[in-house]
Amino acid sequence: MRNATGGTRYAVAVLATLAVAFVALPQVYGNQSVLFTMMTYMALAQGLNLVYGFTGYLPFGYVGFFGTGAYACSILVTFTGLPVLLCVIGGGLAALLIGLILGPLLRLSGAYFSIANLAASQIIYYVVSNEALKPLTGGPYGIKIDQVFAPTASYAAMLVVLLLTTALAAYFRLSRFGLGLRAMHQNPISAAVAGVNIVRARLVVWLVSATVAGLIGGVYAWNLSVFYPDAVFTLEISVFAIVFALFGGVGTVIGPLLGAGLLYTFYAAIGVSTPQYFQLLYGSLIVFLVLFLPNGLVSLLVRRKLHVL
Amino acid sequence: MRKFLKHAWTACAAGAVASGLALSGGAAQAANAPSVLTIGTLYASSGPFAVASKGQFEGLQYWADTVNKDGGTYVKAFKKKIPVKIIAYDDQSSTATATTLYNQLITQDQVNILIADFGSVLTSVGIPLAAEHKMLLIDPTGSGANFFTKKTDYLADVSIPSSTVWPLTLGHFLLGQKIQRIAIIYDSNDFDASQAETLKATLEKGGVKPVYYHGVPTSESNYTVLLHTIAAQNPDAVIEFGYAPNDIAFLRNLSSSGLHFKMTFTIFPGQLLDLMTKNVGAKALAYTYTYPTPPLVQTQKVTYGPNTAAFVEQFKAAKNAEPNFLDVAGYNTGLVVQDMLETAPAFTQLSFHQALMDMSGKTTTLLGDFKINENGAQLGELFSVGQLVPSGNGNKMVVVYPKEKATGTAVYPAPAQ
Repeated sequence: MRNATGGTRYAVAVLATLAVAFVALPQVYGNQSVLFTMMTYMALAQGLNLVYGFTGYLPFGYVGFFGTGAYACSILVTFTGLPVLLCVIGGGLAALLIGLILGPLLRLSGAYFSIANLAASQIIYYVVSNEALKPLTGGPYGIKIDQVFAPTASYAAMLVVLLLTTALAAYFRLSRFGLGLRAMHQNPISAAVAGVNIVRARLVVWLVSATVAGLIGGVYAWNLSVFYPDAVFTLEISVFAIVFALFGGVGTVIGPLLGAGLLYTFYAAIGVSTPQYFQLLYGSLIVFLVLFLPNGLVSLLVRRKLHVL
Repeated sequence: MRKFLKHAWTACAAGAVASGLALSGGAAQAANAPSVLTIGTLYASSGPFAVASKGQFEGLQYWADTVNKDGGTYVKAFKKKIPVKIIAYDDQSSTATATTLYNQLITQDQVNILIADFGSVLTSVGIPLAAEHKMLLIDPTGSGANFFTKKTDYLADVSIPSSTVWPLTLGHFLLGQKIQRIAIIYDSNDFDASQAETLKATLEKGGVKPVYYHGVPTSESNYTVLLHTIAAQNPDAVIEFGYAPNDIAFLRNLSSSGLHFKMTFTIFPGQLLDLMTKNVGAKALAYTYTYPTPPLVQTQKVTYGPNTAAFVEQFKAAKNAEPNFLDVAGYNTGLVVQDMLETAPAFTQLSFHQALMDMSGKTTTLLGDFKINENGAQLGELFSVGQLVPSGNGNKMVVVYPKEKATGTAVYPAPAQ
């Protein structure tokens, strides 16, 4: 109980640090798009961590939920005239619905799950970008919601989504439910014998993770305001979220935040300063990390017997 | 008389004060002039847009080198020549990266002039950002129909017509040739799909309904099955709208399939002929129709800058390479900026935009007539229809439509190769 209380305080400290940092940073660094994109990847890495870090299911097609959220939000803005925040929530609910439809994929495991999930995300992409859906999604012509373009408000909204996602990760990490998830991750049969409802727990995490990606996609669309299907369904988004989460360390709260924060900073810095060496540097770094830090940055702290949330 | 003298004295005094103010204003303006004019832009060194983006960037850089050799570009607002400096970042064909880099150029580098990367996809994310920061986005080749739906002071498409008007001439050519059975295959992206839609509408208006009308993913690289499906419809003309890699795959597959159509049209032989010849082969390209673009077609009479022939000579001498359309597009973007700076009375984004509007309809550059509307869309610089006709070991471009620009007649039906 004392540990849980300490963990809660730790979680509150992480949330407060995140909030203060992203409120203060625009005052000292004017390129808000860099900070916004950093938060987007932090939230995505954290959202992916919810399902991968706590259940072991690696969703290669995680971008499908993100893109669904972006398009659902944009469609709601275009056709309903609802306040944009409600449209963002609509994006989250649309991703939740897609998560429910794809729920049976959880019957698969390992690489089969990842590939099936990847295929599902591509199906969504091709449906959205289909010419026949032009009146609804804009099809290949993309979608435009510049009437609600508000970079500062969408920045604040992304911060809220990031805090929400981190709070969920902290709940998974500290709660009895999360303990069940970790037991299930290590040995599902033993966990089931011990009373963990495996199917329900997996489905809940899957849907929560999908909803979070949908919310992130909705806010991202609000910030971008003019985009093509490729921009929100590119596999690069899934790959970055996975790499960032793995770099920091999955199954923890601070790992994906650290991973996304540091790697994205590095990405943005070399992307601006030495683009000609970008692929070489970035690729080398990832190979180095996989070889020498397979459990992510947080493993350095764990080795030093430090408590990691 | 006394009253007259008093008035005359007052008028002279007022005139002297006004002249003094104007002179001191001019001096102050010159003193406020930046030592270099910063032009911010993006390019892609990797990813699907790399080939085209680097060509456009190379053309823009060539323009900057040319004006800097001459001491810079004349800026009317400061009444002096100022050297230009290009600040460019690599977005690697990624819209997410492009977003942050456009913002970097606007907020951190505070560039004087903002120029978009190649194409609609990488331009799209810059449009709301530029408008938010009240910066005019000079758009060289982003021709997406979505961009130009409402009046704006912060967007101007300068080097390529809006993609919705590209196939108008092609449509009229097909109707004029009385070709009834037409198949259209296009990539599912804004650039290609909007052309397909315009062509379909033009044909239907002329009483011709396409026998095949089908979209494929932009990543499509094997057209073999699709070609046989098209052949089953027995079309006389097959129109393929894609990016360069799609055109290459389409023409290669067509050549190896043994199929033959009386007319085949693709976009990029007219823009990147060397690349297409290298990848497809001169024989497979023979008799293919395309939009011929400068430098394959020449604009002789210009009102600003060199004409196409002079540019080709200068570029070849400086770079030791033949320019392609994207080099011309990048260079033309620089020329338009140069003309804009020479005519804008104030060094503000709104004044820049007004200068472009004033140039519209009165300016002809090596790309043709410069004509933008209030939404920022380019309505001039229209493309003709050309055909590649065998000549020696390769092919030469023959403009076949419209009549006033034609340099030869169409070989229709195309002989089997």
